[in-house]
Amino acid sequence: MDEKLLQDVDARRARAARMGGPEKLESRRKRGGTNAIERLGFLVDPGSFIETGLLGASSLKADEAATPRDGKVCGFAKIDGRDVAVCVNDFTVKGASTGATNGRKLAHLRRTATEKGMAFVHIGESTGARLPDAMGSRGMGTMLGNDPTQFRRARDTPWASAALDTSFGSSAWLCCCSDFAVMRKGSVMAVSSPRLVSMAIGEKVDLEELGGWRVHAELTGLIDRFVDSDEEAMAEVRRFLSYMPSHNGAPPPECAVAEDAVQDQNAILEVLPAKRTQVYDMRKIIAVIFDRGSVFELKARFGRSAVVALARLGGRSVGVIANNPNVAGGALSVEAVRKIVDFQVMCDSFNIPIVRLVDTPGFVVGTDAERKGAPGHIMNFMNCTSFVTVPSITVIARKAYGRAYVAMGGGRHNEEMIAWPTAEVSFMDPTFATTIVHGLKPGDEGFEEAFAEIGKDTEIWDMATIYSVQNVIKPQETRDYLIRMLDVYRLRRSGGIGEHLMRNWPTSM
Amino acid sequence: MAVIDVKTDITGNVWKIVTKPGDHVGEDEPLLILESMKMEIPVSAPEAGVVKEILTTEGATVTEGTVLARLEV
Repeated sequence: MDEKLLQDVDARRARAARMGGPEKLESRRKRGGTNAIERLGFLVDPGSFIETGLLGASSLKADEAATPRDGKVCGFAKIDGRDVAVCVNDFTVKGASTGATNGRKLAHLRRTATEKGMAFVHIGESTGARLPDAMGSRGMGTMLGNDPTQFRRARDTPWASAALDTSFGSSAWLCCCSDFAVMRKGSVMAVSSPRLVSMAIGEKVDLEELGGWRVHAELTGLIDRFVDSDEEAMAEVRRFLSYMPSHNGAPPPECAVAEDAVQDQNAILEVLPAKRTQVYDMRKIIAVIFDRGSVFELKARFGRSAVVALARLGGRSVGVIANNPNVAGGALSVEAVRKIVDFQVMCDSFNIPIVRLVDTPGFVVGTDAERKGAPGHIMNFMNCTSFVTVPSITVIARKAYGRAYVAMGGGRHNEEMIAWPTAEVSFMDPTFATTIVHGLKPGDEGFEEAFAEIGKDTEIWDMATIYSVQNVIKPQETRDYLIRMLDVYRLRRSGGIGEHLMRNWPTSM
Repeated sequence: MAVIDVKTDITGNVWKIVTKPGDHVGEDEPLLILESMKMEIPVSAPEAGVVKEILTTEGATVTEGTVLARLEV
C-alpha cells in the first residue's frame, strides 16, 4: 500500500484529536475544568472505548477544519465490564452545538443502544442549535425534525445524562429524556442561554436563577443528583448504571454481598418514636434495612416528604419508595407525588422490584395544592401504582390514611402488604375523625373517650384478622422478610421481566 | 457564600424556635419546630450554614411556602 495513504490516516486522526485547539483546552484547564476526553476517562473502564465518527465534521465545507468530530466524542465502551453507547460533548468545538453531522452521530448511538440492548450515556455541555446552520427554512428543513424517532423514548435501555458547565439545548433535552441525570454544582441547565432569554423576553436573568443547581434540586426535580466535580459526576453515572440491567429484557445485575452488608436491625427501634405525635427521619430506617452503603437516593431535595432510592437487598437491586414523616409529617405534596411516579415507572420499566415504606397522614390539601393540580397528580399516581408488574412489597410503618395509603401501594396493589405493630390504618387521622363523626373538638367534654375508641379501631389487628394485611412483623424482622418474600415472588415465568405497561410514560413527570 | 431561604413545607403553628441568628447548623439540623396535623414537625436546614435571620415567632401560624429563616451557606 502507498505509505502516503497510511500517513494521511494518521494526519487526519491527529487533526481530529486536537479538539478545539490547544488554546481553548488550556484556558479550560486553567479554570479547573476538564475536557471531553478527560471526562470520558473518568466515565468508562480503562482502554474500553472504541470511537465512531472520529473523522466527522461540519457538513458545511467552510467549517470543516474548525469542527473536529463535529464537537461530539461518540462511541462504545464498557462500564463495570458492560457495554454502553456513549457521547461526550466537546464544548471547545463550537460550544458542542448541534450540527447536521453530530446529530447523525448521536442518532446512530441511540439507535444502536436500543437495537443491541445497552445503556446510553450522554455527557452534556452545549450551547444549543448551531447557528447559522439551523437558520431559515433551509436550515430548519435540514437540521430539525427529520428523525421522527428522536424523542420516542420507550425505556428500551437505561439512559443516563450529565449536565456540566453550560447545558443548553440538546444537553438539557437529554437530561430530561433520561432515567438519571447528574449535575455538577456551578453548572446551568436551561432551554436556552440567559443572553437569548434576555433578548426574547426582555428579562435580565442570572445564570443560577435560570437553571442553577438549587433550582433543579428544589423546584424542577429534573436532576437526580448533585456533585462538586466532573469526576464525581462520572462516578455517579457509573453508580446509577450498577443498579440497572443493560436493557429492559434482562433482570438487573446481582452484586456480591459484602461481609458487613447486614446491619444490626434493632437500630430501627431507636429511630421509630414511641409517641405517635413525634416524627422521625425515614432515611435512617432505610439505611439500616438495605445492604450497608447501597442506598442511592434520587431527587433528595425535591418533594422531600417522600424518599425514592435505588438500593440493594442481599445484593439484588430494589427500588425504595417511602414517606418521610420528618418533612411535613410525611404528607404527600404534588412534588412528592411526581417524584414517586417518575421513580416507580423507571423501576417497573427495568424489572426492579419495589419496596414501599408507608407513613403518611395523606395528601397535602389546600388551595396551593389544588392550584398545582393535586387531583390530577394523585390520579397519575393511582394509575401508576395499578400498572406496576414487577414484584412489590408494601410495609406499613405507622400512619396509612385514605387515598394516599392506596396510592402508596396499599390494599391489593402489591404482592404482600405487611405492617409493623405501630401501624395505624384508617380513612383519616383519628383526631379529625373524632371531630367529624362525633362533632367534638379537642378539649370538648367526651372528646378523649371518643378519640380513644376511634384510635383503637385504627390499630392493625382488625386488618390482620380479615387478611387484608398479610402479616404483622417486628420492625427488626423486615430485612429478612423482604429478602425471602422478594425471592418467593420472583417472576419465574418471564425470567424476571415485567410487562412494562408504562414504558412510554413521560420521562419528566 | 450564598444566602438561601428556608421555607415550611406545610401549614402549621410555630411551636418552638431552637436556633438563633449566628448559630452554625449542619445539614438536616432543625431550626424550628412546627405543630401541624397533631404532630411536631421540624423545619430543618437544607444545607450546612450559619443562621442569618429567623423570620417568625413562637405561636405564629405559618402557611405552606412561607420563608421562616435565612441561612448563609
